[in-house]
Amino acid sequence: MANPPIRSFLQAAKAEEVAPALRVVQMEGLAILKIIKHCKEFSPALVTGQLLGLDVGSVLEVTNCFPFPNREDDEELEAEGANYQLEMMRCLREVNVDNNTVGWYQSTLLGSYQTVELIETFMNYQENIKRCVCIIYDPSKSNQGVLALKALKLSDSFMELYRSNNFRGEKLREKNLTWVGIFEEIPIKFSNSPLISAFMTELEADTPVAQGDLDRLQLSTKPYMERNLEFLMECMDDMSQEQQKFQYHYRNVARQQTQQQAWLQKRRAENMARKAAGEEPLPEEDPSNPIFKPIAEPSRLETFLLTNQISNYCNQINGVAGLSFNRLYLMKALHEN
Amino acid sequence: MVLLIKRTPSGILLILANGFEILDSEEERQSSYDSDPGNEEDTPAEPTSAVGNRYLQQNASDSDDSEEQKRVIRSAKDKRFEEMSATIDQIKNAIKINDWVSLQESFDKINKQLEKVMRVTESERVPNLYIKALVILEDFLAQALANKDAKKKMSSSNAKALNSMKQKLKKNNKQYEDLISKYREKPDIEVSNEDEDDSDQTETMSDNESEVSSDSGSDTDDNPDVRDLNMIKKKDTFMDKEFKKDPRDITWDTVNKKLKEVVAARGRKGTGRVELVEQLSFLTRVAKTPAQKLEILFTVVSAQFDINPGLSGHMPINVWKKCVDNMLAILDILNQYPNIVVDDMVEPDENETQKGADYNGTIRVWGNLVAYLERIDVEFFKSLQCIDPHTKEFVERLRDEPLFLVLAQNVQDYLEKTGNMKAAAKVALKRVELVYYKPQEVYDAMRKLADLSEERDDVESEAEESKWSDERRAPPSFVVVPEVVPRKPAFPESSRVFMDTLVSLIYKYGDERTKARAMLCDIYHHALLDEFSSSRDLLLMSHLQDNIQIMDISTQILYNRAMAQLGLSAFRNGLFTEGHSCLSELYSAGRVRELLAQGVSQSRYHEKTPEQERLERRRQMPYHMHINLELLEAVHLTCAMLLEVPNMAANTVDSKRRVISKTFRRFFEISERQILMGPPENVRDHVMAATRALSQGDYQKAFDLITSLQVWKLLKNKDAVFQMLKDMIKEEALRTYLFSYAAFYSSLALDQLSKMFGLSESTTHSIVSKMMISEELHASWDQPTRCIVFHDVGLSRLQALAFQLTDKLSILAESNERAVEAKFGSGLGGGGLDGLPLRRRDAGDYAAAVGSGGGGNRWQDSQSYNQGRQGGSTMGRHGGGGKPFGPGQTSGGGGGYSRDRTGQTRGTVSYGGRHSYQSGSSKMDSSARMGYTRAP
Repeated sequence: MANPPIRSFLQAAKAEEVAPALRVVQMEGLAILKIIKHCKEFSPALVTGQLLGLDVGSVLEVTNCFPFPNREDDEELEAEGANYQLEMMRCLREVNVDNNTVGWYQSTLLGSYQTVELIETFMNYQENIKRCVCIIYDPSKSNQGVLALKALKLSDSFMELYRSNNFRGEKLREKNLTWVGIFEEIPIKFSNSPLISAFMTELEADTPVAQGDLDRLQLSTKPYMERNLEFLMECMDDMSQEQQKFQYHYRNVARQQTQQQAWLQKRRAENMARKAAGEEPLPEEDPSNPIFKPIAEPSRLETFLLTNQISNYCNQINGVAGLSFNRLYLMKALHEN
Repeated sequence: MVLLIKRTPSGILLILANGFEILDSEEERQSSYDSDPGNEEDTPAEPTSAVGNRYLQQNASDSDDSEEQKRVIRSAKDKRFEEMSATIDQIKNAIKINDWVSLQESFDKINKQLEKVMRVTESERVPNLYIKALVILEDFLAQALANKDAKKKMSSSNAKALNSMKQKLKKNNKQYEDLISKYREKPDIEVSNEDEDDSDQTETMSDNESEVSSDSGSDTDDNPDVRDLNMIKKKDTFMDKEFKKDPRDITWDTVNKKLKEVVAARGRKGTGRVELVEQLSFLTRVAKTPAQKLEILFTVVSAQFDINPGLSGHMPINVWKKCVDNMLAILDILNQYPNIVVDDMVEPDENETQKGADYNGTIRVWGNLVAYLERIDVEFFKSLQCIDPHTKEFVERLRDEPLFLVLAQNVQDYLEKTGNMKAAAKVALKRVELVYYKPQEVYDAMRKLADLSEERDDVESEAEESKWSDERRAPPSFVVVPEVVPRKPAFPESSRVFMDTLVSLIYKYGDERTKARAMLCDIYHHALLDEFSSSRDLLLMSHLQDNIQIMDISTQILYNRAMAQLGLSAFRNGLFTEGHSCLSELYSAGRVRELLAQGVSQSRYHEKTPEQERLERRRQMPYHMHINLELLEAVHLTCAMLLEVPNMAANTVDSKRRVISKTFRRFFEISERQILMGPPENVRDHVMAATRALSQGDYQKAFDLITSLQVWKLLKNKDAVFQMLKDMIKEEALRTYLFSYAAFYSSLALDQLSKMFGLSESTTHSIVSKMMISEELHASWDQPTRCIVFHDVGLSRLQALAFQLTDKLSILAESNERAVEAKFGSGLGGGGLDGLPLRRRDAGDYAAAVGSGGGGNRWQDSQSYNQGRQGGSTMGRHGGGGKPFGPGQTSGGGGGYSRDRTGQTRGTVSYGGRHSYQSGSSKMDSSARMGYTRAP
């Protein structure tokens, strides 16, 4: 009763918290085209850019975007990049474009985006914008005739864990978080203004086959497969390294346990002797003893990310292989004809 | 006393000389052979007391020149002494006022002055003045320390000075302890003499010196000439004396007593070792009973061993020969009187040797034949080590070998006769070790030499004998023992027979080490005779290589030698692979010299201590036993080349993967890195040049380069080996060619190939077929056209990647399983997933991920599908191509594959919850299985 305004503020905050979860990312055609253009131009290199839009209930509208200049790892340039970003926002506002940051986009190579850096960036964004999204575009995959666009966000439980920076086994079990639950993919919906749609219909060619369809018929999947395999192998190597870390950890733990056992036994024997002598028994716990200091468990984060990546590569290979079959069968049928 | 004499030579020598005269006269009077001239120093008390007196007088005369302060002209010496006495005065003053600080200063000063004085007087003796000061100081110190109250009252600096003084004095005085005590005994002498000796001091000094120079040699231990002179004189008297006596007067007792005396003198300081031996050998002649003679002979032999003091040097050769003679004489006696038993276990009765030749029971004499024999062998070995192998002396020395062999043979015979088979085996080993490294030719030469030297020896020894007796006027021996044991070595015709008899004896009776060594010698000898297979069988059956590591170093060296010889033998037999495997280990560390004990290699990184170096030097093999290192290297590198060149050509992609000879690879890399290629100089250069030629398929050049090595002339039946080598080089050249260039051909005619490498068509055919069978060459014969048809089955990049991936997956899966096992234990029978913690489920998930990540599997599906379409031949090829895709795949298309996959069982890991997450585990299975089947 003493301070109702504060309570009401809290309630307000809570109410905001309960606001409907992000269901769909709605993207303007303009933004998509800009992203594709930017990413494709710099193709082997990875680029990033800012997403601008509006947060409307369970829908996040991405109406515009602008690229970040190609960063070369330099601190000076980083400051310049921030300046550039601010300047750009200001300019865009002046021309009356949505200048509300809703996330960022980045290009990737064969879907190798599940990295610690991405998570860090996301957490940074998350601090400022409650609802943010990361759009990932894969130009190499798009060459196969698919629009490889993905909207990602981190799951809430993961973010919570990440903030406490606790990726130990029991905690993960507690939260029931597996590698699958790190990223959440949000469906993307395209929207164009009716005017543009009308114009597009106007533009539509008479032939039913577009360039994308022809791309999809490409038979050479070898380079793509090779790259995928290579990446997969790198992941395997990293994975085994992580595994070794764990093995090492387990060995240490086992050793410590035997040490503890030995110590306990000794202490018990001592206590028996003391009891016989009529003295007070010593405590069976000795926190000052270094052998009771718990050994830090290695973080699972890296493993989770690696697993994510591996599954990503596998899916890609699966998909490409499946498509290749279709094409091959098609070709066979064509030949027979 | 001895110390004193040594320290002050100038004063004492004269006196000693006098004392010596006394000694001599005494000895004459006693007419006994009591004292050895070497140790006069500890002879009777009479002369030494004189020494002491004189010494003190001398001392006095030395010191008092310091007192003569009023001299007008002072020598430097005087000045020093004066300074010293001034310091002493200072000390006295300081004592009076109890000033320890200044006392300490004065003490330091006097010590410095002492040095100067010593330098000036050039004597080693400390002046009495100094001693006096020391005594004063010591007394005062004791006094000060005793007076505790005074000590407490002292100022801190003073007390500190006192303490340090105490320590200093204690340390300092230790050097002059005896002098001080003497001074304390008779301080008055010095005082009384002080004035008298003042004036004629210098005179006496000079007198002394002149006398010293004339007499100096007579008593110092270090002058051998004079001592020898004495010695000879004394011995002459002794011998003469003995001669004068009627031989019958010499009884067992006198000889026994004398022997005891001589033996007692042995090892004592100043006892001449050579003389001792001579005395003893004289005694052997006057010994009364055979047993006694035997006993004395044993002492002679052991005394002879003592002649050479150090471990590093060797016994003088003539002594060695005499030693052998003595040993033979011992054997004579032993054979003549079988009732005499040699034993080193029990201390025989005092008068055991008194029992004469006609005594019936056993007579025990202390001694150890085998130990002596081994010692003689060691000395022989050492002498060969030490003598420069390029001199005539070395050859001369080698000629003594039969002599030793005779001795060893006799000892062995005797031991066998007495039933001591174990010792006999040891002796047999000694004989084996002298023969094992000799090829038949050398063995024959030795036999011939033995025969020859026998005849010559007969003549010579007679002449020598007469000379000896003339010279030494040796009396005829009382106990004459005829030469019972043969002096002539009996060698069987072939060295193999010789070895066989000895070795079989050793195998029967020897102990472990003896047997092992004999075995190694046997192996070596077999290998030397080109009997590679029997030699190898011996080595393998004996399992020596398993426990050679724990044997002693000399046996290890022998093992290395045997291995080296085995390698050479394999090479001579054309078994290059075997040769390489024998030799590669020797060369792996680059320390072959050390391993064979044929020279010391200098290591840059590891500095040896002198002790190690000495030990190593003692292990060295004598020159005549060396295995030619150059030949060994040539053989090793040639073998390595023949193996490595095709291997390198076969594995061009990842050459690091399969290395046969690391040493060779390293050499080759080094030579590849060279910018300028000069003509080959050493063995390595030749082989490297040949390697280059061979890898280009130029077999003729390679062969020429190899055979141009000079060192091959050391090889037995060189031509036959060369022929084999040539064939081998051709063969390997063909293989290399096929490995390198097969990819560029689609077919190749047989006659073309055989022409190219100068091989017969059948050989070429067999080589190529062999390569096809062992999957080294992906090709097949086209019989009608007599062509090799190559199949292009080189892996595409994608395929190679897939294989690498499967490798990695299998590793990952395995370690995953291990992790699971570590967590839950391996016995997880049918637990299912429900009871398992999440981590386990994670693993399942992960396995699923891995399974689906095994894109290789899926991909293989499509691949096999493709191939299935293309035709069965490719499938078969793949199945046998060393890259098995699993049996299901080769049998058909994708269906068979999946069926097979689920039906697969693995024995290595029992996955309890298999049914629960079948898809995951079975996928994992299949991916892992691929890894397993790949790694044979």
